[in-house]
Amino acid sequence: MTNEPEDSSQPRLARGCRWGGTDENPVVLFPEGAISLEGPGKQILEQCDGVRTLKDIVDRLTALYKGSDPEQIRRDVSLFLQQLQQKRIVDY
Amino acid sequence: MAANPLALIAELTYRCPLHCVYCSNPIQATREKSELTTADWQRVFAEAAKMGVLHVHLTGGEPLGRADLEELIAGAASASLYTNLITSGVGLSQARLATLLEAGLDHIQLSFQDSREEAADWIAGARVHARKTELAHMIRKEKIAFTVNLVVHRQNLDHLEEMLQFIEQLEPDRVEIAHTQYYGWALQNRSTLLPTRAQVEASQKTIAAAQQRLAGRVRLDSVTPDYYARFPKACMGGWGRKLMLIDPFGRVLPCHAAGVLPGIEFESVRERSLEWIWQESSAFQKFRGETWMQEPCRSCAKRAEDFGGCRCQAFLLAGDANATDPVCSLAPERHLVNEIVATVNADLSFQQSAFQQSTLPQTSLQPSAFSQTAYSQTLLPQKVGGRNRFWSYRTNPE
Repeated sequence: MTNEPEDSSQPRLARGCRWGGTDENPVVLFPEGAISLEGPGKQILEQCDGVRTLKDIVDRLTALYKGSDPEQIRRDVSLFLQQLQQKRIVDY
Repeated sequence: MAANPLALIAELTYRCPLHCVYCSNPIQATREKSELTTADWQRVFAEAAKMGVLHVHLTGGEPLGRADLEELIAGAASASLYTNLITSGVGLSQARLATLLEAGLDHIQLSFQDSREEAADWIAGARVHARKTELAHMIRKEKIAFTVNLVVHRQNLDHLEEMLQFIEQLEPDRVEIAHTQYYGWALQNRSTLLPTRAQVEASQKTIAAAQQRLAGRVRLDSVTPDYYARFPKACMGGWGRKLMLIDPFGRVLPCHAAGVLPGIEFESVRERSLEWIWQESSAFQKFRGETWMQEPCRSCAKRAEDFGGCRCQAFLLAGDANATDPVCSLAPERHLVNEIVATVNADLSFQQSAFQQSTLPQTSLQPSAFSQTAYSQTLLPQKVGGRNRFWSYRTNPE
């Protein structure tokens, strides 16, 4: 059941998933639905380009949210990616 | 102003090489023969995108029966719509698949009737299972999202595990286990198709185990059949709230089945703009909001979740489109559903023999594979990673 990303994992949008919507309301489209993104969720998915690693993403969020516990950020990002991986929206 | 629709179901044609016993297409063959043209559909797709629609689901009948399917996909893609092809696969060659992908197709949903060739071909009323299996392997080689849809019912639920293993080796990204919904041809054939309670309970365990096994590789969605549920499905996410459907001749409906409801005039995109039909037409306003509701819905705490259930089912079972959906345990007419369910669970000899007596769709308008019996949609809050809203549309109701 658990399939946690590692620091070196390079998350990307899964097959058939892509950005859509408008500049004001960007969404990630998947076969039978969409996620409307804002805040950290948007910042995470924007970096899921198949190149940047989990560590890169966590570092970026840690810089954006100064004063937050980096370990907590890593746990949140990891959980977010796992949830999207199980929905077949993200792969890593 | 009503909120914008999020998805458009485009029934491109009712022509189909299959004759599935649970087809969702209308039983009454319409006299209308002239399907919307390429230009009609392209105008409609542009209007839909402007209204905020995100997805277009191309279905039928068999959408591959439209020679202009590539142009329609390209038109939808150029309007920035996400394109989903819901198909039996019959008529799809390697070369044609390449042209559909070239046109911008995002996702293919391929239907299967069974894992066993003879049973699958019997349900489909055509010898197609072997070809569909070849197609699945061909599709999987492409970089496209791939969903397998399997309709389940009393005649195949006993070997659900075998069917899941068959589908697993096709390596889809998603699997939808769709319990037959009792509208159209499926309602005609309900005595053959409605599963027993024991089958439903066993299938839920099989599916839960498969979800564990497949987690992270294949997303497996399934839905409880509503005759065995305590509360009704929020059909289509509520009447005229999130989805709209256009039939091959241009009529715009809130769902696949609404054409059976008496006294409602559904407008056509040949005469009106999509925006006007969604916002202003009496058909789309008919069951929006709560003013039409009767008791017990009117004062029920769940009315904002399920909207009283399905209006078509209320009409088909209770004879009143304003009634509480009779599958609801609180519905005054729930006894009607209890009686149907009791018959299926009592008479085992009847279940076996009935298979031979099904009413096969035989209209000149060849009905489709089941793939889209009725749409529904859920709004799932997502707590992790900010206030991200999930919309999930299903090709099968929940």
